[in-house]
Amino acid sequence: MSGIKVACVGNPNCGKTTLFNALTGAKLKVANWPGVTVEKVEGATSYEGQEITLVDTPGIYSLTCYTIEEKVTRKCVMDDDIDVILNVVDASSLERNLYLTLQLLELGKPVVLALNMMDIVKERGMEIDLHRLPEMLGDIPVVPVSAAKRTGLGVLLHAILHHYEEQKNAEYILEYPEYIEEKIAKLEVMMQAHYPDHSSRRWHAIKLLEDDEEVREEHPISVTNVVDRSYEKEIISCKYDYIEKVVKEALFYQHNKTPVTEKIDSYLTNEWLGLPLFLCIMGVVFFLTFAVGDFLKGYFEVFLGLVTNTVSEGLTTLHVSKVLTSLIVDGIITGVGGILTFLPNIFILFLALAILEDSGYMARVAYVMDSIMGHVGLSGKAFLPMILGFGCTVPALMATRALETERDRRKTMLITPFMSCSARLPIYVIFSQMFFDKKYAGLVAFSFYVIGMVVAVITAFVMNKLEKGRENDSLLIELPEYKRPNARTVFIYVWKKIKDYLTKAGTTIFIASICIWFILNFGVTGMVENPADSFGAAIGKGLVPLLKPAGLGMWQIAVALISGISAKEIVVSSFAVLFGVANANSTDGMAAILANVHAQNPAFGPLNAYCLMLFCLLYVPCVAAIATMYKESGSLKYTLKVLIFEILVAWILTTCTFQIGSLFL
Amino acid sequence: MEGENMTLFEASKEKEYEIKNLLVEEAVTRRLQALGLNDGVRVRVLNRKKKGALIIKVRGTRLALGKHLSANIEVEEVQPCPV
Repeated sequence: MSGIKVACVGNPNCGKTTLFNALTGAKLKVANWPGVTVEKVEGATSYEGQEITLVDTPGIYSLTCYTIEEKVTRKCVMDDDIDVILNVVDASSLERNLYLTLQLLELGKPVVLALNMMDIVKERGMEIDLHRLPEMLGDIPVVPVSAAKRTGLGVLLHAILHHYEEQKNAEYILEYPEYIEEKIAKLEVMMQAHYPDHSSRRWHAIKLLEDDEEVREEHPISVTNVVDRSYEKEIISCKYDYIEKVVKEALFYQHNKTPVTEKIDSYLTNEWLGLPLFLCIMGVVFFLTFAVGDFLKGYFEVFLGLVTNTVSEGLTTLHVSKVLTSLIVDGIITGVGGILTFLPNIFILFLALAILEDSGYMARVAYVMDSIMGHVGLSGKAFLPMILGFGCTVPALMATRALETERDRRKTMLITPFMSCSARLPIYVIFSQMFFDKKYAGLVAFSFYVIGMVVAVITAFVMNKLEKGRENDSLLIELPEYKRPNARTVFIYVWKKIKDYLTKAGTTIFIASICIWFILNFGVTGMVENPADSFGAAIGKGLVPLLKPAGLGMWQIAVALISGISAKEIVVSSFAVLFGVANANSTDGMAAILANVHAQNPAFGPLNAYCLMLFCLLYVPCVAAIATMYKESGSLKYTLKVLIFEILVAWILTTCTFQIGSLFL
Repeated sequence: MEGENMTLFEASKEKEYEIKNLLVEEAVTRRLQALGLNDGVRVRVLNRKKKGALIIKVRGTRLALGKHLSANIEVEEVQPCPV
């Protein structure tokens, strides 16, 4: 017997992915805000020798289609060869969750209910009658589980298999008033005549009665004699009336305690305190990133210095050819090693973001920022991808799927790259410490995060004015329960990011470092002694006139900026390779680069350095982000427009900064 | 008659209301209904900004609603349920 296929379906943020991870051993991202999962993912597990394929889906509130994720899930449940639907339900908000359950039951496929978050139910002093609840839901298996604590999983798998083998489809527990039932019966007969092998006829009949656009288009049969108007409203209230009955009979002590969440919210979403508190929290995140990160960096430096010396001496004793030694020491160790020293900063940043995301605060940020975002024609929800952009632009662009309209999505995708991602962090660390007093270095670095946000908001504002203030979509987001961040969740999140970073250092940055080493050490005449004769210099010199007004008129900078498109950290790598510094992120390394820069261009001072960082913040995102933007928008024209726009913004703002700054300094 | 009704946007903190009418486009109506906001349901305002979004509690969950939405939801104030 071949395996069975099970779809995890449920409301957003009810713990589908946590359960999926627990059952399959996968390490998908989990966090405490609605809309983390945007794509369906498959995984495998087995129980008593039976193979089970699990499909994790984006959360949905209903089987109607509203956002992209909902379409993904509905398509998966309807089309795919799903044998059993595993309906994951947040037991602490049973009333809302059951609305989807009733719709899933109408599909006529076997449904198993996983009552997740039973620990919260207990904590709040609530009780669920586990005999009455399944009775009222057509005798489907109802299994209490805790996905986070991994309890009840065996029972759940057993229930899924058993229920599948019984082939007992869900009974129609919910009866509509007679005049609706009559119409449903008539439509079912019509469906039977036109689509004899169609499953879930009752569901389709109900959807036709609700005048569901997609179902109507897919089944172009004339039903006007039965469906004289949309009966959606009646059907929905029937469902809710039934749910109220279920809740009354199966859920006790619902109003026992005021949840802690509401007490915390009275501060964090307070009309006056909300925004200052948010800014403070972000301030603390970046302070920790720079301060603690720098503290840990020292240990990395010692280690890297050791590696460089050992390798370099080893190669000399082995009489390895000059070209190869140069490639390994000047190219690879310099380019890749320098980047690795930023690992502590990256680690702290992602740790802080993981804790923020898992605490339940993210959805509150959408509420707090709604007024400001409203002025630029976006809803507060658009701010969530922007915060993720502080980590990495790629997942941030994907998170825009949670936005309701394509227009809002494109606008948010346009401004998200301005949010300074973690790859740009090494650039700020190096150049702010190199050119600014130690006291102000942190402040200088922090300023780019603020500038990025401001540029993003202004861009959205201008776009909004150009669109002449078309009606913007209003905020609509569920605010989850606050919870203590789960250690496993945070660990998986941070570990994945660190792994990505190391992989990037081993692949993209590795290859780019070799390329940079090549174009800087070879020219038309072969290997050159003076980099000024290299291919790189030739390319860079062509761009110098363009960069000069922005205070960046050095061919080395042009080379660094071009190579930085492959990954932003490479701007730092290229500087290291350019000036032959083993560890750019050390005091000696910085001094060496500074001396070299001044040898080339004595006038290059703090203002130029600031302009360089500003340009790096604003000019095109890295290749991975560009590819994601293309994939997410599905339009090459849009992607190119965004890139041109961003280069222009970067050049204009940097030039203005340099020209105005030069007047004063 | 319609003009006389108050909207959720005018609602005050910590008071309870009953949803009377959703005056938003169809897709949004469906969304609101899926979130538990159908006609006749009781909601409690947990928090609000003077001229902006507000947080309500409905069917045991908290929802943040923007101004454009709340201004198009007609409500009627009701006495809080004795717990």
